[in-house]
Amino acid sequence: MSELGNLTIALAVLVSAYGLVAALLGAGLRRAELAASSRNAVYALFLLLSVASGLLLYQALTRDFGNAYIASYSSRDLGFWYTVSVWWAGQAGSLLFWAWLLAGFGTLAVWRQAHYRELMPYVIATVMGTSAFFTLLLAAVSNPFARLPFVPPDGQGLNPLLQNPGMFFHPPTQYLGYVGFTLPFAFAIAAMATKRLDDEWIRATRRWTLVSWFFLSLGILFGMQWAYVELGWGGYWAWDPVENASLLPWLTGTAFLHSVMIQEKRDMLKVWNLVLIILTFGLAIFGTFLTRSGVLSSVHSFALSSMGPLFFAFIALTLIVAFTLLALRLPWLQSAGDLDSLVSRESSFLFNNLILVGAAFSVFLGTIFPMISEAVRGVKISVGAPFFNQVNVPIGLALLLVMGLCPLLAWRKASLANLSRNFLFPAALGLLTAIVLIVAGMSHPVAVTAFALSAFVTATILLDFHRGAMVRRGHGEPYPLALGQLVLRNRRRYGGYIVHLGMVLLFAGMAGSAFSSKQEAVLRPGQTVGINQYTLRYEGISRYPTRSAMVTAATLTVMNGGDPIAVLNPQRNIHRGHEEQPMTEVAIRSTMLEDLYVILAGVGADGTANFKVIVNPLMMWMWVGGVLLSLGAIVAFWPDRREALRARARYLVGAEG
Amino acid sequence: MSRAKKKFAVAIVLFVAAGAYLAYSGARSSMAYYLTVGELLDRGPAVVGASVRLNGKVLPGVDWDQVSGRLAFTVSDGSRQIPVVYQGVVPDTFKPGAEAVVEGTYDGTTFTAVRLFAKCPSKFEAKPGGV
Repeated sequence: MSELGNLTIALAVLVSAYGLVAALLGAGLRRAELAASSRNAVYALFLLLSVASGLLLYQALTRDFGNAYIASYSSRDLGFWYTVSVWWAGQAGSLLFWAWLLAGFGTLAVWRQAHYRELMPYVIATVMGTSAFFTLLLAAVSNPFARLPFVPPDGQGLNPLLQNPGMFFHPPTQYLGYVGFTLPFAFAIAAMATKRLDDEWIRATRRWTLVSWFFLSLGILFGMQWAYVELGWGGYWAWDPVENASLLPWLTGTAFLHSVMIQEKRDMLKVWNLVLIILTFGLAIFGTFLTRSGVLSSVHSFALSSMGPLFFAFIALTLIVAFTLLALRLPWLQSAGDLDSLVSRESSFLFNNLILVGAAFSVFLGTIFPMISEAVRGVKISVGAPFFNQVNVPIGLALLLVMGLCPLLAWRKASLANLSRNFLFPAALGLLTAIVLIVAGMSHPVAVTAFALSAFVTATILLDFHRGAMVRRGHGEPYPLALGQLVLRNRRRYGGYIVHLGMVLLFAGMAGSAFSSKQEAVLRPGQTVGINQYTLRYEGISRYPTRSAMVTAATLTVMNGGDPIAVLNPQRNIHRGHEEQPMTEVAIRSTMLEDLYVILAGVGADGTANFKVIVNPLMMWMWVGGVLLSLGAIVAFWPDRREALRARARYLVGAEG
Repeated sequence: MSRAKKKFAVAIVLFVAAGAYLAYSGARSSMAYYLTVGELLDRGPAVVGASVRLNGKVLPGVDWDQVSGRLAFTVSDGSRQIPVVYQGVVPDTFKPGAEAVVEGTYDGTTFTAVRLFAKCPSKFEAKPGGV
């Protein structure tokens, strides 16, 4: 089995290298049979990596502990689905998962986008070049089919922290997002290589970008949710290097998917768009690498991970090739349009870009700060959460403001009449929100600003929906139908606005975190602890075994002004095989208003228990915002037959002309 | 350069300057030495009382009073070691053998941590070939 696995990996390396060469030669020498052969190589690669993945899953499910990877990440008592998740639980497996996804996306592009005939060879070359790197890592450095010299009777098991439904949501979506950005990057390279530098490559990759962005957003949100319910410190974001690494391509990717609209509409920012997608791809690779090596959480492990230099070499090579190509193509990249006014829709896009890239830069700087300070001053100095918050909270507020202004502004130059017509009502609503909150006693300036801006943005978006629907109603459609048709017929625009509404809720949820309160208490049974309006009475402890763990559960009755409203059971569980690592299972009572979050921090022999109780306002809004954001993204990228026909027509016209 | 472009240039410069100021003040308020056990001991008195992030491996022999939440353990870089005391919620990833980062101050003998991080296991990689 493992021999077959090794063979498929070795063949995958060869096929990747062959596909890269064949695609380039086919394009350079104008040899159709080479081009066709390179396309087949992509299919072959997908097949090979599917077989390799199938073999790995088969070994995992048949408990072949002679395979070192399987032995490190699974055990006999591991259930079916968690055994499947072993595919992406460790380094070698997740690299295979990455390469398999890439081959799958490449196959989709070759199959569905064959009509981009001139671009396709270079798209294939980029995909195959990337795949060559990842399959080479699999073959030479981190082999998922490496054998142990003996077959142990049982594996080491999957870390209990990973045995959570989050394991099926967070890593796969995160990887889909990371890998997905390879395709827009590949089309960008192809556009530069072929000098077809109009917005063809952008139209070709619009959906790839949206889908990748959708998955990356989901990956980050699922990660936040998982951290919140599982890691048990009461928060969802700690500015950990690996979290930062997932945020970086999201920030530049978000900037990219906004700025391409300017190129489509006004034929501007061509160089900028190329720079953004190159950076996004580089950061996605950087993110994959950080997640898998932990280089930054212990800055000293550079030498320990043989992958580190290889990843840096690959990122450096990619950036050098891409930026050299870009420099060579600069003469072809003159913008046709020009900025007319500081107050216009395109300028709001520009500021959105500036803000997002500024945020990305600050996060990047903070993340690699220890390395910089060591190089400059010879001592490693790191910056913590206050740095990231101090920089990114104002940036976030500015982003929110631009998000609200953008739909209000006309293209080219917004007139005063246009401004006051659109601006008055949302601005008044935002101001009113601020006044009400201050009168109600809220004194946190950042939070007041965030809520006021949220109201402002929501109003501008709803106003836009309303106006569009009223126009349609003027043509005789009843209002609800008009609203539905409006969204369906302008999916990209209104999908985008739905995403913005989701972002507003996320921002409001984050602003709510400013008001979280904490309480720690050591209680004997019968004693109570109070937090805000709640009183929690500790009833006692119970210990009982389950299939995989010994459970220690505390029972608390939650009272609100004397009335019991809930019973919470925070736990500390000892999983078999992981006796040294107790698992804290927090208890959360969620309402739309706030979360009551209880951690059982420790239990004494006499039943005395140590609790940490946290109240997190508006947490639910974040998750609702996440759902809304996902829905909006789906609306925006869902295939539209009319749009496909239009694109086809445009393409045919272009081919004739 | 057109007038609109000039205005843009000014706006961008203002934006970047504001960002740089925020970054500078944020960095100043949250900077801490990021040291290994050996580096901390070598620097000696120079870092006593300063805020430090200390990185090391947790040695066996962890003294944890679950009721009071007081945790005492030792971190090592393989050759030398420093005792650490900490009070608060202990992350699940913390265990002997784990890579830990503690934030706090060193008084010359003991490190008093106000925050404790232990490396998330998804980022762990078993030693090559080792089981």
